[in-house]
Amino acid sequence: MSAAQAAGAAATVRFHKELYDEQAIADATATFADYARFGVRGEGDHFVVDISDLDSEIEGDIVAEFCNFALANSAALRRNDG
Amino acid sequence: MAQSQIEQLDPASSTLVLSLDVDLYSRDVLYAAAYVFIDRAYILLDRDADRYMVRMRAKQKMPDETMRAMAGEFENELLAQALREQVGKANQAIIEGITALAISGATAVAESHADGPGLDGFVDDPKGLGAPWQNKEEAPEG
Repeated sequence: MSAAQAAGAAATVRFHKELYDEQAIADATATFADYARFGVRGEGDHFVVDISDLDSEIEGDIVAEFCNFALANSAALRRNDG
Repeated sequence: MAQSQIEQLDPASSTLVLSLDVDLYSRDVLYAAAYVFIDRAYILLDRDADRYMVRMRAKQKMPDETMRAMAGEFENELLAQALREQVGKANQAIIEGITALAISGATAVAESHADGPGLDGFVDDPKGLGAPWQNKEEAPEG
């Protein structure tokens, strides 16, 4: 993905279950719900997130920002859980 | 295999993949180090057998040397966070003791003033100095 998404573009991201919390991913999908459609499923050691209908009007990389949010949320949840 | 090493470096896409031995750093240390770089790069963590894979893509285009420097910085950050974690664990009992003492002290002070003056130390306000001046000016005369 470059500066802006192609209209209706799609992507798939795999988050390792040991490193990413399911709730953290769900929170990140809620944060970005206005800019794309998200489908989360478990597949072996990973949560697989299918991202579609990316908003082409948005400047920046929605998929990459979404990954950063999922990481930050996972770290925060783990810190709060102690 | 080295404990940490650059697996992939692509200046064209400003992408860097770093692999780390899972026994080298805790998951909390990995999170903490990654968090430091979140404003400069897009980060995706993964695990491949006994290696953590850290995929970083710089938000700004970077030449090869700068990317290598970023990889080095990340490794330094891992070390710093590991030390921080170790110091935190070593001092946890002391920190908890001091915090408990501070909270119990504050509770005792609040209880001793429960029937006395407020927290600002004033017993009463006979001249109405505590009232906001706007209210005084807006009040109808007479």
